[in-house]
Amino acid sequence: MIRRILDFVFVLLFIWACMILGLWVIDSLIVPLQLPGVTNDIMTATLKVAVSAVMVIVWLWLWREMVRRMFWRTVKLQQHLADDSRSDNPKQGDC
Amino acid sequence: MIEELSALALGFAATLLSMPVTIQKMRKHRIVGVDVHKKDRPLIPEMAGIAVLAGLTVSVVAAAVLMPEKIGLLASFLATTLIAGVIGAVDDMKTLNAKVKPLLTAFASAPILLMGTYSPYPAFPIIGAVRLTIVYRLLIPFAIAVPSNAVNMMDPFNGTMSGTCSIVTLALLFSSLILGRSDAALLCACLLGPLFVLYYYNRYPAKVFSGDIGSLSIGAALGAIAVLGQLEAVALIAFAPQIMNAFYGLATVGRLYERREVSRPVSMLDDGRLTASSDPRAPITLARVILARGPLYEYEAARVFMVLASIAGALAVLTAYLTMVTP
Repeated sequence: MIRRILDFVFVLLFIWACMILGLWVIDSLIVPLQLPGVTNDIMTATLKVAVSAVMVIVWLWLWREMVRRMFWRTVKLQQHLADDSRSDNPKQGDC
Repeated sequence: MIEELSALALGFAATLLSMPVTIQKMRKHRIVGVDVHKKDRPLIPEMAGIAVLAGLTVSVVAAAVLMPEKIGLLASFLATTLIAGVIGAVDDMKTLNAKVKPLLTAFASAPILLMGTYSPYPAFPIIGAVRLTIVYRLLIPFAIAVPSNAVNMMDPFNGTMSGTCSIVTLALLFSSLILGRSDAALLCACLLGPLFVLYYYNRYPAKVFSGDIGSLSIGAALGAIAVLGQLEAVALIAFAPQIMNAFYGLATVGRLYERREVSRPVSMLDDGRLTASSDPRAPITLARVILARGPLYEYEAARVFMVLASIAGALAVLTAYLTMVTP
C-alpha cells in the first residue's frame, strides 16, 4: 500500500516543484525579457506569453509521460512476477 | 466567523434532513444505479446531488441573510452551481454527448461573468498578483467546466468523489484563512456541510450515489470558489488528483469520452478484489494506475484516493503560504 502511494507522492511533489520553478523562471527571466532592437511592446508581450504557454505545455507533457511510463512499467513488473511464480510452481500436468 | 459557522451548520442540517427523503423518492421512482464493484451488484439510489443542492441553497441563503453586503457574490456562486446541477440532472435522465457536456458546463460560468463578481488579479506564489483584465474573462468558462467535468470523472469507487472533494474544500478553506480571503472562506463553509453529509452516505459501502447532478455541481462550485475567492493557483494544486485522472483518461483515449463508450479500466476478481484491466484500449485512469501494482478491495482503493487528495491538499495549503509570503 505504501509503495503504491509513494509513486503518486513522487509525481505530485515533482509536478508541484516544477510549477514553483516555472513560476520563478517566468518571474525572474521571462517577464524582464527585452528583445534587442524590438521596440513594439505588443510583440514583446506576445512573445512572453508564447514562451510561458510553451512552458505550461511541456509541464503537462512531462506529467503525462511520467504517469504513462510508471503505469506500463508497473504492468510489466507485475506480469514478470506472475510469470516467475508460475514457473516456480508448475501445475501437476506440466511436469 | 459566526456567519461562516452558521452557514456550515445550516447547510449540514438541511442536507442531513433532505438526504433520507431523496433516497426514499429515488428508490420509489426506480432511479437507481448498479454498484458494479460489489459481488451481489446491489441497486443504489442515484441523484443524491439533489440533497446536496438543497443543503447548499439553504447555507447560501442563510449567508446572504447574515451578510447582505455579499449578496452578489453568493448569488453568482449559487447560480453557477445550480446551472451545473441542472445540466447534471439532464445527463442523469438522458445521457448527454461527451462533447456537449463540457460546453454546457462552461455556460454555467455565465452568472459570474454577467454579475462581474470576479477579480482579474489572480495571485501566484513567487510572482504575486498578476493583472489579467482581458484574458481572465476568457479563462472563467474553463475554470468552471474543467473542475466540473474532472470531478465527474473521478467517481470510480464508493466515497471517492465526495471524500476527495471534501478534502479539496477543506484545503481551500485553510488556504483562504491563511491568505485572509473572507469571501472564499464563506463559500467553502457553505459547501462543506452538504459535502460531509454526502460523504457519510456515499462512503463504502455506499447507501447512495451522487449522480452527475452531484458531481457536476460540486465541481462547478469548487471552480467558482477558486475564481470568486481568488484561489486559482491553490485550487489547481488541490485539484491535482482530479486533473491527473481526467488528463490521463483523455490522453489515452485521445478524445472526450463517456464511460459507457470505452472499456472498463477496472475489473473484479472472484474474491471481490478489484484489478487493473489488461485491455490496451481501456483508458489509463487514476484507479487503473493505482490497481496496476496489484488487486485491492474497494475500500482499500478508495483509501488510496483519500491519501492522495490529502497530500495534494497539504501542498495546496503550502502554496497558499508561499503566496502569502510573496511580497
